[in-house]
Amino acid sequence: MTQRTRPDKRHSPNEMRPFYCSSALLSRADGSVRFKSGDSAVMCSVFGPMEVKLRDEKLDKAVVEVIFKTAAGMTTTKERMYERIIRQTLEASILSGLHPRTSIRVTLQVLTDDGGILSTALNAATLALVDAGIPLRSLAASVTCMIDDTGELLLDPTAIELERSASVHTFAFDNVSEGTLANMSTGLFTVDEYMRCYETCRLAAVSVQQLFRTSSEGKVRREYG
Amino acid sequence: MAKKGKKALEVRDLPPGEEAASSTTKTLVIPGDHIPIKIENSTGPARVRVGPGLHQEQGELVAVKAGILQQGSQNRWWVEGTQKRYVPALGESVLGIIASKHGEFYRVDIGAAHPASLPVLAFEGATKRNRPNLEVGSLIYARVSLANKDMEPELDCIDPATGKAGGFGELKDGFMVRCSLGMARRLLDPRSPILLRLAEAFKFETAVGMNGRVWVNAETTPHIITVARAIQVADGAAAGDVMRRVEQVLRTLDDFMDNS
Repeated sequence: MTQRTRPDKRHSPNEMRPFYCSSALLSRADGSVRFKSGDSAVMCSVFGPMEVKLRDEKLDKAVVEVIFKTAAGMTTTKERMYERIIRQTLEASILSGLHPRTSIRVTLQVLTDDGGILSTALNAATLALVDAGIPLRSLAASVTCMIDDTGELLLDPTAIELERSASVHTFAFDNVSEGTLANMSTGLFTVDEYMRCYETCRLAAVSVQQLFRTSSEGKVRREYG
Repeated sequence: MAKKGKKALEVRDLPPGEEAASSTTKTLVIPGDHIPIKIENSTGPARVRVGPGLHQEQGELVAVKAGILQQGSQNRWWVEGTQKRYVPALGESVLGIIASKHGEFYRVDIGAAHPASLPVLAFEGATKRNRPNLEVGSLIYARVSLANKDMEPELDCIDPATGKAGGFGELKDGFMVRCSLGMARRLLDPRSPILLRLAEAFKFETAVGMNGRVWVNAETTPHIITVARAIQVADGAAAGDVMRRVEQVLRTLDDFMDNS
């Protein structure tokens, strides 16, 4: 393991950036969370279960809508892809059968993007759903890691590090089965590299789950004394 | 379903051989947590009854919401948490706004995913000839008489025990404020320190809806505003900070009354 310091002063390639979250910031939304991971920050609001447009209505479950907005500029296909990944991941967590013919809308607004924005957005969405009181089967904790051009694995890369990436891997793990809920990998990589990334992210996701617990508990303790 | 209950977790109500979920300390759960009580072949004194925030999955109880795990009488378990969006439940009192009038029923907004229907005959003394006269926009206090996730919720304005109005019906004058569902439940507690403190200062009346809406009326407008403000500032405040904030609102009223 190299002792080289990373651009944001982290010492180890296996070190996550510090993350924290604050909830119930928006007064109109049913649930809202701001999730920060290093200098990447996402604001997430959740509305629902609420009335659904007739053409989207599903008779046996709630419709999950995800809107992903960048900090600046137009929505491109990349954001559309993020919306799809996040929606499919959340659909696996939400007990949508408990609220048929309704809609659950998740809006994600990127505040600052310093790498790993998909993970940050997914974690924000999960916590916002908890804040909104949407019934969930499990919590999806997401972590990103990359393999750089020298073949070294870097956990939770920043935007500067991502410029030298050969492949980037984002995973989401649930807290019940500890299985993979979602995975997005881009770039060229070997099976061995992929498995290394999977293992590293799986271990790192435990600390994200820990944050989910402490933040939910903190909120309840605050209000109920 | 029991929504209230101040009883702490009791070990003796648990099936023998099961580890107690908690003694007197509050057990906090998050979605996905397994609740260590058996629900099938329960050998406990009564069947386990599952309330809001808990779900049965393959013979095990799993939390689906974040909050405090609570146990009531007769082995009732639920998760006490707070949220903003109302999900109708049978027998709960709610505040609704008439959204439209139809031949045999009113459509009422109760803040849930679907509007509720209120039959014109679901009032005390209502007959085919003698109908209640509610306008669009009227505020009503009603009871949820039908709550099923697949069906539109239904309301009535009759107390089922007596067949009388029992406080249900249109609410005239006054003011309606919104709060979280947790706050509404706390206000419904007859020992609610917020309302007791305000009642020491002046007279007022309230109607608390489980859907996070509170109607307030008092002799003068400043008093109405004070109650409304007190509820709003107490909502979401840390448990230890609630009464300090209420006192602050009361001081503002005193200052205003002294100056006018």
